[in-house]
Amino acid sequence: MSDETKVDLELDLKGLLCPLPMVKVSQNIGKVEVGGVIRAVATDPGAMADIPAWAKSTGNEVLQAEKVGGEFVFLVKRVK
Amino acid sequence: MDSTQLTTLTGVIDKKMNRQLKQYMDICARCAICKDACHQYVGTGDFKYLPARRAELIRQIYKKYFTKTGEFVPALYEARDPDDNLLDELYDSTYACTGCRRCMYYCPFSIDTAWILSVAKAILIAAGRGNEMLGQLADAALFKGDNVEMFKDVIVSGFKDIEVEVQEITGNPNAQVPVDKQGADILYVALAGAHSIRPAAVIFEEAGANWTISMFEAANYGFFDGDIEKARLITKRFIDEAKRLGVKEIVVPECGHAYRVLELFYEAWSKEKMPFKVSHILEKVDEYIKDGSITVEKGLLTGTVTYHDPCQIGRNGGIFEQPRDIVQSLTDNFVDLTPNREQQWCCGGGGGIVAMEEFTETRLDRGTQHTPRSGYRCTSGHRPRGRSDAAQGQEAHARIDEPRDREPQRGTLRGAPFASSPDSDAQAAAYRTRLGSTARGRASNHKRISQ
Ligand code: SF4
Ligand code: SF4
Repeated sequence: MSDETKVDLELDLKGLLCPLPMVKVSQNIGKVEVGGVIRAVATDPGAMADIPAWAKSTGNEVLQAEKVGGEFVFLVKRVK
Repeated sequence: MDSTQLTTLTGVIDKKMNRQLKQYMDICARCAICKDACHQYVGTGDFKYLPARRAELIRQIYKKYFTKTGEFVPALYEARDPDDNLLDELYDSTYACTGCRRCMYYCPFSIDTAWILSVAKAILIAAGRGNEMLGQLADAALFKGDNVEMFKDVIVSGFKDIEVEVQEITGNPNAQVPVDKQGADILYVALAGAHSIRPAAVIFEEAGANWTISMFEAANYGFFDGDIEKARLITKRFIDEAKRLGVKEIVVPECGHAYRVLELFYEAWSKEKMPFKVSHILEKVDEYIKDGSITVEKGLLTGTVTYHDPCQIGRNGGIFEQPRDIVQSLTDNFVDLTPNREQQWCCGGGGGIVAMEEFTETRLDRGTQHTPRSGYRCTSGHRPRGRSDAAQGQEAHARIDEPRDREPQRGTLRGAPFASSPDSDAQAAAYRTRLGSTARGRASNHKRISQ
Protein backbone atom coordinates (compact mmCIF):
# COMPACT_ATOMS: atom_id res chain seq x y z
CA MET A 1 0.00 0.00 0.00
CA SER A 2 2.83 2.39 0.84
CA ASP A 3 4.07 2.33 -2.76
CA GLU A 4 0.69 3.48 -4.09
CA THR A 5 -0.24 6.06 -1.47
CA LYS A 6 0.61 9.67 -2.17
CA VAL A 7 2.38 11.12 0.85
CA ASP A 8 1.88 14.81 1.59
CA LEU A 9 4.17 15.18 4.59
CA GLU A 10 7.11 13.15 5.86
CA LEU A 11 7.86 13.10 9.60
CA ASP A 12 11.12 11.80 10.99
CA LEU A 13 10.26 10.79 14.56
CA LYS A 14 13.27 8.55 15.08
CA GLY A 15 14.75 8.81 18.55
CA LEU A 16 11.68 10.42 20.06
CA LEU A 17 10.24 8.63 23.06
CA CYS A 18 6.56 8.01 23.65
CA PRO A 19 4.27 9.87 23.67
CA LEU A 20 6.18 12.37 21.51
CA PRO A 21 5.75 10.45 18.20
CA MET A 22 1.98 10.62 18.69
CA VAL A 23 2.20 14.27 19.77
CA LYS A 24 4.16 15.18 16.64
CA VAL A 25 1.67 13.42 14.35
CA SER A 26 -1.17 15.28 16.07
CA GLN A 27 0.63 18.61 15.83
CA ASN A 28 1.30 18.10 12.12
CA ILE A 29 -1.98 16.59 10.93
CA GLY A 30 -3.40 20.09 10.41
CA LYS A 31 -0.61 20.81 7.93
CA VAL A 32 -2.10 18.44 5.34
CA GLU A 33 -5.49 18.89 3.70
CA VAL A 34 -8.42 16.65 4.63
CA GLY A 35 -7.71 13.41 2.75
CA GLY A 36 -3.96 14.08 2.87
CA VAL A 37 -1.46 11.58 4.23
CA ILE A 38 1.46 11.83 6.66
CA ARG A 39 4.24 9.26 6.53
CA ALA A 40 5.87 9.02 9.93
CA VAL A 41 8.87 6.93 10.93
CA ALA A 42 9.43 6.26 14.63
CA THR A 43 11.77 4.01 16.60
CA ASP A 44 9.91 3.78 19.90
CA PRO A 45 7.75 0.61 19.87
CA GLY A 46 5.14 2.34 22.03
CA ALA A 47 4.13 4.29 18.93
CA MET A 48 2.66 1.11 17.44
CA ALA A 49 -0.25 1.34 19.86
CA ASP A 50 -0.20 5.09 20.58
CA ILE A 51 -0.56 6.40 17.02
CA PRO A 52 -3.45 4.08 16.04
CA ALA A 53 -5.19 4.81 19.38
CA TRP A 54 -4.80 8.55 18.78
CA ALA A 55 -6.17 8.15 15.22
CA LYS A 56 -9.20 6.17 16.42
CA SER A 57 -10.03 8.60 19.20
CA THR A 58 -9.65 11.70 16.99
CA GLY A 59 -11.46 10.24 13.97
CA ASN A 60 -8.42 10.01 11.70
CA GLU A 61 -7.23 6.87 9.92
CA VAL A 62 -4.04 4.83 10.04
CA LEU A 63 -3.59 3.33 6.58
CA GLN A 64 -0.46 1.46 7.57
CA ALA A 65 1.46 0.69 10.78
CA GLU A 66 4.37 -1.56 10.00
CA LYS A 67 7.64 -2.64 11.57
CA VAL A 68 10.48 -2.34 9.09
CA GLY A 69 13.75 -3.50 10.64
CA GLY A 70 14.11 -1.48 13.83
CA GLU A 71 11.72 1.24 12.66
CA PHE A 72 7.98 1.72 12.78
CA VAL A 73 6.44 3.22 9.66
CA PHE A 74 3.01 4.83 9.68
CA LEU A 75 0.77 6.23 6.98
CA VAL A 76 -1.80 8.45 8.66
CA LYS A 77 -4.69 9.96 6.68
CA ARG A 78 -6.38 13.14 7.83
CA VAL A 79 -10.09 12.42 7.79
CA LYS A 80 -11.44 15.64 9.28
CA MET B 1 -20.33 35.03 27.90
CA ASP B 2 -24.00 34.12 28.25
CA SER B 3 -25.68 33.39 31.57
CA THR B 4 -25.74 29.61 31.01
CA GLN B 5 -21.98 29.51 30.50
CA LEU B 6 -21.45 31.74 33.49
CA THR B 7 -23.59 29.48 35.65
CA THR B 8 -21.55 26.48 34.48
CA LEU B 9 -18.24 28.13 35.33
CA THR B 10 -19.29 29.46 38.70
CA GLY B 11 -20.80 26.03 39.39
CA VAL B 12 -17.35 24.48 38.84
CA ILE B 13 -15.81 26.86 41.34
CA ASP B 14 -18.58 26.21 43.84
CA LYS B 15 -18.06 22.46 43.55
CA LYS B 16 -14.28 22.54 43.71
CA MET B 17 -13.77 25.13 46.43
CA ASN B 18 -13.39 23.25 49.67
CA ARG B 19 -12.48 24.85 52.98
CA GLN B 20 -8.74 24.70 52.35
CA LEU B 21 -9.01 26.35 48.95
CA LYS B 22 -11.30 29.06 50.29
CA GLN B 23 -8.67 29.73 52.92
CA TYR B 24 -6.07 30.11 50.17
CA MET B 25 -8.37 32.65 48.50
CA ASP B 26 -8.37 34.72 51.69
CA ILE B 27 -4.87 34.48 53.09
CA CYS B 28 -2.42 35.33 50.29
CA ALA B 29 -0.40 38.18 51.78
CA ARG B 30 1.12 39.22 48.45
CA CYS B 31 4.48 39.01 50.08
CA ALA B 32 6.02 37.76 46.79
CA ILE B 33 8.23 35.14 48.33
CA CYS B 34 6.86 32.71 45.77
CA LYS B 35 8.19 34.73 42.83
CA ASP B 36 11.77 33.58 43.41
CA ALA B 37 10.67 29.99 43.94
CA CYS B 38 9.10 29.51 40.51
CA HIS B 39 11.58 28.52 37.80
CA GLN B 40 9.31 29.92 35.09
CA TYR B 41 8.96 33.34 36.68
CA VAL B 42 12.67 33.51 37.53
CA GLY B 43 13.57 32.29 34.02
CA THR B 44 11.26 34.56 32.08
CA GLY B 45 10.47 37.47 34.38
CA ASP B 46 6.99 37.30 32.90
CA PHE B 47 4.40 38.47 35.39
CA LYS B 48 1.84 35.91 34.25
CA TYR B 49 4.10 33.16 35.59
CA LEU B 50 4.36 34.61 39.09
CA PRO B 51 2.66 31.97 41.27
CA ALA B 52 0.49 34.41 43.25
CA ARG B 53 -0.58 36.08 40.01
CA ARG B 54 -1.63 32.74 38.50
CA ALA B 55 -3.80 32.10 41.56
CA GLU B 56 -5.02 35.69 41.57
CA LEU B 57 -7.05 35.06 38.40
CA ILE B 58 -9.11 32.42 40.19
CA ARG B 59 -9.29 34.64 43.25
CA GLN B 60 -10.77 37.44 41.11
CA ILE B 61 -13.60 35.25 39.82
CA TYR B 62 -14.15 33.85 43.31
CA LYS B 63 -14.42 37.34 44.78
CA LYS B 64 -16.94 38.41 42.16
CA TYR B 65 -19.32 35.51 42.67
CA PHE B 66 -18.70 34.23 46.16
CA THR B 67 -18.04 37.33 48.29
CA LYS B 68 -20.42 40.18 49.06
CA THR B 69 -17.70 42.83 48.77
CA GLY B 70 -16.60 41.58 45.37
CA GLU B 71 -20.16 41.31 44.15
CA PHE B 72 -21.14 44.86 45.13
CA VAL B 73 -17.88 46.80 44.71
CA PRO B 74 -15.88 44.70 42.25
CA ALA B 75 -13.47 47.47 41.24
CA LEU B 76 -12.36 48.02 44.82
CA TYR B 77 -11.84 44.35 45.53
CA GLU B 78 -10.34 43.35 42.18
CA ALA B 79 -13.26 41.10 41.37
CA ARG B 80 -13.66 40.11 37.72
CA ASP B 81 -15.92 38.23 35.37
CA PRO B 82 -14.46 35.16 33.67
CA ASP B 83 -14.51 36.90 30.28
CA ASP B 84 -12.42 35.96 27.25
CA ASN B 85 -9.46 38.08 28.37
CA LEU B 86 -9.36 36.50 31.79
CA LEU B 87 -9.74 32.99 30.37
CA ASP B 88 -6.94 33.59 27.82
CA GLU B 89 -4.66 34.75 30.62
CA LEU B 90 -5.76 31.87 32.81
CA TYR B 91 -4.93 29.34 30.08
CA ASP B 92 -1.33 30.55 29.77
CA SER B 93 -0.75 30.78 33.51
CA THR B 94 -2.34 27.44 34.23
CA TYR B 95 -1.16 25.03 31.57
CA ALA B 96 2.42 26.36 31.70
CA CYS B 97 2.64 25.48 35.41
CA THR B 98 4.60 22.27 35.86
CA GLY B 99 2.89 21.48 39.16
CA CYS B 100 6.24 21.32 40.92
CA ARG B 101 4.87 23.01 44.10
CA ARG B 102 8.15 24.70 44.89
CA CYS B 103 6.20 27.93 45.38
CA MET B 104 4.14 26.22 48.08
CA TYR B 105 7.27 25.11 49.87
CA TYR B 106 8.49 28.68 50.17
CA CYS B 107 5.11 30.36 50.77
CA PRO B 108 4.79 31.37 54.45
CA PHE B 109 1.24 30.04 54.42
CA SER B 110 1.93 26.99 52.26
CA ILE B 111 -0.51 28.20 49.64
CA ASP B 112 -0.68 25.40 47.10
CA THR B 113 -0.84 27.29 43.81
CA ALA B 114 -0.82 24.05 41.80
CA TRP B 115 -3.96 22.98 43.64
CA ILE B 116 -5.63 26.32 42.94
CA LEU B 117 -4.68 25.82 39.29
CA SER B 118 -6.46 22.45 39.30
CA VAL B 119 -9.63 24.54 39.79
CA ALA B 120 -8.48 26.74 36.91
CA LYS B 121 -8.12 23.67 34.68
CA ALA B 122 -11.62 22.50 35.59
CA ILE B 123 -12.94 25.97 34.68
CA LEU B 124 -11.06 26.00 31.37
CA ILE B 125 -12.31 22.51 30.47
CA ALA B 126 -15.90 23.54 31.33
CA ALA B 127 -15.44 26.60 29.10
CA GLY B 128 -14.23 24.36 26.24
CA ARG B 129 -10.71 25.77 26.61
CA GLY B 130 -8.82 22.80 28.05
CA ASN B 131 -5.51 21.89 26.45
CA GLU B 132 -6.28 20.07 23.21
CA MET B 133 -3.09 17.99 23.11
CA LEU B 134 -3.40 16.78 26.69
CA GLY B 135 -7.05 15.95 26.03
CA GLN B 136 -6.09 13.90 22.95
CA LEU B 137 -3.40 12.03 24.88
CA ALA B 138 -5.88 11.23 27.64
CA ASP B 139 -8.51 10.09 25.12
CA ALA B 140 -6.00 7.85 23.33
CA ALA B 141 -5.07 6.22 26.65
CA LEU B 142 -8.74 5.61 27.43
CA PHE B 143 -9.32 4.22 23.94
CA LYS B 144 -6.51 1.71 24.50
CA GLY B 145 -8.07 0.78 27.84
CA ASP B 146 -11.48 0.20 26.27
CA ASN B 147 -10.09 -1.80 23.34
CA VAL B 148 -7.33 -3.93 24.82
CA GLU B 149 -7.82 -6.76 22.34
CA MET B 150 -7.30 -4.39 19.40
CA PHE B 151 -3.81 -3.46 20.65
CA LYS B 152 -2.74 -6.58 22.50
CA ASP B 153 -0.72 -8.13 19.65
CA VAL B 154 1.38 -5.05 18.89
CA ILE B 155 2.01 -4.32 22.56
CA VAL B 156 3.04 -7.92 23.34
CA SER B 157 5.19 -8.02 20.21
CA GLY B 158 7.02 -4.92 21.52
CA PHE B 159 7.57 -6.67 24.87
CA LYS B 160 8.99 -9.72 23.05
CA ASP B 161 11.54 -7.54 21.22
CA ILE B 162 12.62 -6.07 24.55
CA GLU B 163 12.77 -9.56 26.05
CA VAL B 164 15.50 -10.50 23.53
CA GLU B 165 17.50 -7.46 24.62
CA VAL B 166 17.01 -8.37 28.30
CA GLN B 167 18.33 -11.86 27.59
CA GLU B 168 21.41 -10.37 25.92
CA ILE B 169 22.03 -7.90 28.75
CA THR B 170 21.57 -10.44 31.56
CA GLY B 171 23.22 -13.33 29.71
CA ASN B 172 20.20 -15.38 30.75
CA PRO B 173 18.45 -17.04 27.77
CA ASN B 174 15.42 -17.69 29.98
CA ALA B 175 14.93 -14.06 31.05
CA GLN B 176 11.42 -12.85 30.31
CA VAL B 177 9.19 -9.81 30.09
CA PRO B 178 6.16 -11.67 31.43
CA VAL B 179 2.74 -10.44 30.34
CA ASP B 180 -0.59 -11.19 32.02
CA LYS B 181 1.02 -13.49 34.59
CA GLN B 182 -1.60 -14.64 37.07
CA GLY B 183 -0.25 -14.80 40.62
CA ALA B 184 2.73 -12.52 40.03
CA ASP B 185 3.83 -10.58 43.13
CA ILE B 186 4.56 -7.37 41.24
CA LEU B 187 2.77 -5.55 38.42
CA TYR B 188 5.21 -3.16 36.79
CA VAL B 189 3.38 -0.33 35.03
CA ALA B 190 5.93 1.21 32.68
CA LEU B 191 5.70 4.11 30.26
CA ALA B 192 4.87 3.24 26.66
CA GLY B 193 8.48 3.37 25.46
CA ALA B 194 11.18 0.70 25.59
CA HIS B 195 13.42 3.04 27.62
CA SER B 196 11.07 2.61 30.55
CA ILE B 197 10.72 -1.17 30.25
CA ARG B 198 14.17 -2.53 29.44
CA PRO B 199 16.15 -1.34 32.52
CA ALA B 200 13.39 -2.35 34.96
CA ALA B 201 13.01 -5.75 33.28
CA VAL B 202 16.76 -6.38 33.66
CA ILE B 203 16.59 -5.47 37.36
CA PHE B 204 13.48 -7.58 38.07
CA GLU B 205 15.03 -10.55 36.27
CA GLU B 206 18.38 -10.18 38.06
CA ALA B 207 16.57 -9.91 41.40
CA GLY B 208 14.61 -13.09 40.66
CA ALA B 209 11.35 -11.21 41.16
CA ASN B 210 7.98 -12.81 40.44
CA TRP B 211 6.77 -9.98 38.26
CA THR B 212 4.64 -9.17 35.25
CA ILE B 213 4.30 -6.13 33.03
CA SER B 214 1.13 -4.11 32.55
CA MET B 215 -0.57 -3.78 29.18
CA PHE B 216 -1.05 -0.10 30.04
CA GLU B 217 1.24 2.85 30.59
CA ALA B 218 1.57 4.73 33.88
CA ALA B 219 1.57 8.22 32.33
CA ASN B 220 -1.68 10.02 33.07
CA TYR B 221 -2.51 12.87 30.71
CA GLY B 222 -5.97 13.14 32.21
CA PHE B 223 -4.26 14.37 35.37
CA PHE B 224 -2.16 16.90 33.44
CA ASP B 225 -5.20 18.08 31.54
CA GLY B 226 -7.05 18.60 34.82
CA ASP B 227 -9.87 16.19 34.03
CA ILE B 228 -10.04 14.15 37.20
CA GLU B 229 -12.64 11.69 35.91
CA LYS B 230 -10.43 10.83 32.94
CA ALA B 231 -7.43 10.63 35.28
CA ARG B 232 -9.30 8.17 37.48
CA LEU B 233 -10.34 6.00 34.52
CA ILE B 234 -6.81 5.99 33.07
CA THR B 235 -5.48 4.74 36.42
CA LYS B 236 -8.35 2.28 36.82
CA ARG B 237 -7.15 0.41 33.71
CA PHE B 238 -4.17 -1.03 35.55
CA ILE B 239 -5.81 -1.11 38.99
CA ASP B 240 -8.36 -3.56 37.53
CA GLU B 241 -5.54 -5.47 35.85
CA ALA B 242 -3.64 -5.71 39.17
CA LYS B 243 -6.75 -7.00 40.92
CA ARG B 244 -7.39 -9.56 38.18
CA LEU B 245 -3.81 -10.86 38.36
CA GLY B 246 -3.84 -10.88 42.17
CA VAL B 247 -0.56 -8.99 42.59
CA LYS B 248 0.69 -7.77 45.96
CA GLU B 249 2.45 -4.66 44.72
CA ILE B 250 2.30 -2.14 41.87
CA VAL B 251 5.63 -0.63 40.89
CA VAL B 252 5.55 2.58 38.86
CA PRO B 253 8.43 3.82 36.71
CA GLU B 254 10.34 7.08 36.70
CA CYS B 255 7.19 9.05 35.96
CA GLY B 256 6.75 11.03 39.19
CA HIS B 257 3.19 12.22 38.69
CA ALA B 258 2.13 8.60 38.03
CA TYR B 259 3.52 7.72 41.44
CA ARG B 260 1.73 10.62 43.05
CA VAL B 261 -1.59 9.82 41.35
CA LEU B 262 -1.40 6.23 42.49
CA GLU B 263 0.03 6.69 45.98
CA LEU B 264 -1.83 9.85 46.98
CA PHE B 265 -4.92 10.48 44.88
CA TYR B 266 -6.46 7.33 43.46
CA GLU B 267 -8.07 6.05 46.65
CA ALA B 268 -9.72 9.42 47.25
CA TRP B 269 -10.94 9.64 43.65
CA SER B 270 -12.29 6.10 43.50
CA LYS B 271 -13.40 5.86 47.14
CA GLU B 272 -11.90 2.40 47.39
CA LYS B 273 -8.94 1.01 49.27
CA MET B 274 -6.27 -0.48 47.05
CA PRO B 275 -5.47 -4.06 48.05
CA PHE B 276 -1.77 -3.74 47.15
CA LYS B 277 1.28 -1.74 48.00
CA VAL B 278 2.49 1.03 45.68
CA SER B 279 6.22 1.53 45.13
CA HIS B 280 8.32 3.71 42.91
CA ILE B 281 10.99 1.89 40.88
CA LEU B 282 13.73 3.70 42.82
CA GLU B 283 12.34 2.41 46.13
CA LYS B 284 12.33 -1.09 44.65
CA VAL B 285 15.90 -0.89 43.35
CA ASP B 286 17.06 0.41 46.74
CA GLU B 287 15.26 -2.48 48.44
CA TYR B 288 16.90 -5.03 46.10
CA ILE B 289 20.37 -3.62 46.75
CA LYS B 290 19.87 -3.54 50.51
CA ASP B 291 18.42 -7.06 50.81
CA GLY B 292 21.08 -8.47 48.49
CA SER B 293 18.70 -9.46 45.68
CA ILE B 294 20.95 -7.61 43.27
CA THR B 295 24.59 -6.71 43.65
CA VAL B 296 26.15 -3.64 42.16
CA GLU B 297 29.74 -2.84 41.37
CA LYS B 298 31.24 0.32 42.72
CA GLY B 299 33.59 2.38 40.59
CA LEU B 300 32.08 1.95 37.14
CA LEU B 301 30.80 5.52 37.23
CA THR B 302 33.70 7.89 36.84
CA GLY B 303 33.95 11.44 38.09
CA THR B 304 31.71 13.22 40.55
CA VAL B 305 28.13 12.00 40.59
CA THR B 306 25.07 13.81 41.82
CA TYR B 307 21.29 13.44 41.91
CA HIS B 308 18.56 15.90 41.03
CA ASP B 309 15.45 15.38 43.17
CA PRO B 310 12.44 15.14 40.86
CA CYS B 311 9.60 17.28 42.25
CA GLN B 312 6.84 14.66 42.26
CA ILE B 313 8.67 11.88 44.08
CA GLY B 314 10.80 14.25 46.14
CA ARG B 315 9.11 17.39 47.43
CA ASN B 316 5.66 15.99 46.69
CA GLY B 317 6.25 12.32 47.43
CA GLY B 318 8.82 12.16 50.22
CA ILE B 319 11.33 9.90 48.41
CA PHE B 320 14.70 11.50 49.09
CA GLU B 321 17.15 9.04 50.59
CA GLN B 322 16.61 5.86 48.57
CA PRO B 323 17.90 7.35 45.28
CA ARG B 324 20.92 8.78 47.11
CA ASP B 325 21.63 5.39 48.66
CA ILE B 326 21.47 3.78 45.21
CA VAL B 327 23.96 6.28 43.76
CA GLN B 328 26.25 5.89 46.78
CA SER B 329 26.27 2.15 46.30
CA LEU B 330 27.75 2.85 42.86
CA THR B 331 30.29 5.53 43.69
CA ASP B 332 32.29 7.11 46.48
CA ASN B 333 32.17 10.43 44.63
CA PHE B 334 28.59 11.44 45.35
CA VAL B 335 28.02 15.13 45.98
CA ASP B 336 24.63 16.70 46.62
CA LEU B 337 23.44 19.60 44.53
CA THR B 338 22.67 22.93 46.10
CA PRO B 339 19.77 23.30 46.70
CA ASN B 340 18.52 19.76 47.17
CA ARG B 341 15.68 17.59 48.51
CA GLU B 342 12.50 19.66 49.22
CA GLN B 343 14.22 22.82 47.97
CA GLN B 344 15.37 21.51 44.58
CA TRP B 345 14.35 23.43 41.48
CA CYS B 346 11.90 21.96 39.04
CA CYS B 347 13.64 20.52 35.95
CA GLY B 348 11.12 22.47 33.87
CA GLY B 349 9.66 19.45 32.09
CA GLY B 350 6.78 18.38 34.34
CA GLY B 351 3.02 18.81 34.21
CA GLY B 352 2.75 17.50 30.65
CA ILE B 353 4.46 20.66 29.35
CA VAL B 354 6.61 18.61 26.93
CA ALA B 355 3.46 17.80 24.96
CA MET B 356 2.32 21.42 24.70
CA GLU B 357 4.06 23.08 21.77
CA GLU B 358 2.85 26.55 22.74
CA PHE B 359 5.00 26.49 25.88
CA THR B 360 8.22 25.27 24.27
CA GLU B 361 9.91 28.64 24.59
CA THR B 362 8.87 28.98 28.22
CA ARG B 363 10.10 25.48 28.92
CA LEU B 364 13.44 25.47 27.13
CA ASP B 365 14.71 28.72 25.75
CA ARG B 366 14.06 30.91 28.73
CA GLY B 367 12.61 28.75 31.47
CA THR B 368 15.90 27.26 32.52
CA GLN B 369 18.15 30.30 32.39
CA HIS B 370 17.83 31.12 36.03
CA THR B 371 20.96 29.20 36.90
CA PRO B 372 24.06 29.18 34.76
CA ARG B 373 24.84 26.13 32.71
CA SER B 374 27.00 23.97 34.86
CA GLY B 375 29.13 22.12 32.38
CA TYR B 376 28.42 18.91 34.25
CA ARG B 377 27.44 15.92 32.19
CA CYS B 378 23.85 14.93 32.83
CA THR B 379 23.11 11.22 32.96
CA SER B 380 19.35 11.14 32.91
CA GLY B 381 17.64 7.90 33.75
CA HIS B 382 14.53 8.61 31.79
CA ARG B 383 15.43 10.53 28.64
CA PRO B 384 18.65 9.03 27.44
CA ARG B 385 18.90 10.19 23.84
CA GLY B 386 20.04 13.75 24.09
CA ARG B 387 16.69 15.07 22.90
CA SER B 388 15.61 15.23 26.47
CA ASP B 389 13.81 18.27 27.68
CA ALA B 390 14.12 17.14 31.25
CA ALA B 391 17.82 16.50 30.85
CA GLN B 392 18.42 20.00 29.56
CA GLY B 393 16.64 21.35 32.58
CA GLN B 394 18.59 19.11 34.90
CA GLU B 395 21.86 20.18 33.41
CA ALA B 396 20.93 23.77 33.93
CA HIS B 397 20.34 23.15 37.60
CA ALA B 398 23.34 20.98 38.23
CA ARG B 399 25.53 23.11 40.42
CA ILE B 400 27.71 21.24 42.79
CA ASP B 401 29.11 22.64 46.00
CA GLU B 402 27.95 26.15 45.34
CA PRO B 403 25.74 28.15 47.63
CA ARG B 404 22.14 28.63 46.57
CA ASP B 405 22.16 31.51 44.14
CA ARG B 406 18.65 32.77 44.74
CA GLU B 407 17.12 32.03 48.08
CA PRO B 408 13.51 33.14 47.80
CA GLN B 409 13.29 36.43 49.64
CA ARG B 410 10.28 38.27 50.86
CA GLY B 411 9.61 41.12 48.46
CA THR B 412 6.51 42.98 47.57
CA LEU B 413 3.89 42.75 44.89
CA ARG B 414 2.69 46.26 45.45
CA GLY B 415 1.99 48.21 42.34
CA ALA B 416 -0.08 47.15 39.35
CA PRO B 417 -1.94 44.91 39.13
CA PHE B 418 -2.02 44.45 42.88
CA ALA B 419 -2.40 48.18 43.35
CA SER B 420 -5.17 48.04 45.86
CA SER B 421 -3.42 45.61 48.15
CA PRO B 422 -2.65 46.83 51.65
CA ASP B 423 0.90 47.00 52.82
CA SER B 424 2.15 43.54 52.05
CA ASP B 425 4.82 43.39 54.77
CA ALA B 426 2.36 44.34 57.47
CA GLN B 427 -0.24 41.99 56.11
CA ALA B 428 2.26 39.15 55.90
CA ALA B 429 3.28 39.74 59.49
CA ALA B 430 -0.35 39.80 60.61
CA TYR B 431 -1.10 36.57 58.84
CA ARG B 432 1.97 34.94 60.26
CA THR B 433 0.79 35.83 63.75
CA ARG B 434 -2.64 34.43 63.02
CA LEU B 435 -1.43 31.16 61.57
CA GLY B 436 1.54 30.56 63.80
CA SER B 437 5.05 29.90 62.65
CA THR B 438 5.88 29.38 59.03
CA ALA B 439 7.52 26.13 59.98
CA ARG B 440 4.18 24.72 61.02
CA GLY B 441 2.79 25.42 57.58
CA ARG B 442 5.76 23.84 55.92
CA ALA B 443 5.55 20.73 58.04
CA SER B 444 2.15 20.03 56.59
CA ASN B 445 3.45 20.21 53.02
CA HIS B 446 4.85 16.75 52.94
CA LYS B 447 2.60 14.31 51.15
CA ARG B 448 -0.38 16.58 51.41
CA ILE B 449 -3.16 15.52 49.13
CA SER B 450 -3.93 18.35 46.83
CA GLN B 451 -6.59 17.38 44.38
S1 SF4 C 1 1.37 34.52 50.57
FE1 SF4 C 1 3.20 35.32 49.55
S2 SF4 C 1 4.38 33.49 48.95
FE2 SF4 C 1 2.27 32.80 49.48
S3 SF4 C 1 1.21 32.78 47.46
FE3 SF4 C 1 0.81 34.80 48.41
S4 SF4 C 1 2.43 36.13 47.55
FE4 SF4 C 1 3.09 34.02 47.19
S1 SF4 D 1 3.89 24.87 41.04
FE1 SF4 D 1 5.98 25.24 40.21
S2 SF4 D 1 5.62 25.96 38.09
FE2 SF4 D 1 3.65 26.11 39.18
S3 SF4 D 1 3.57 28.22 39.93
FE3 SF4 D 1 4.46 26.97 41.59
S4 SF4 D 1 6.70 27.08 41.31
FE4 SF4 D 1 5.74 27.79 39.39
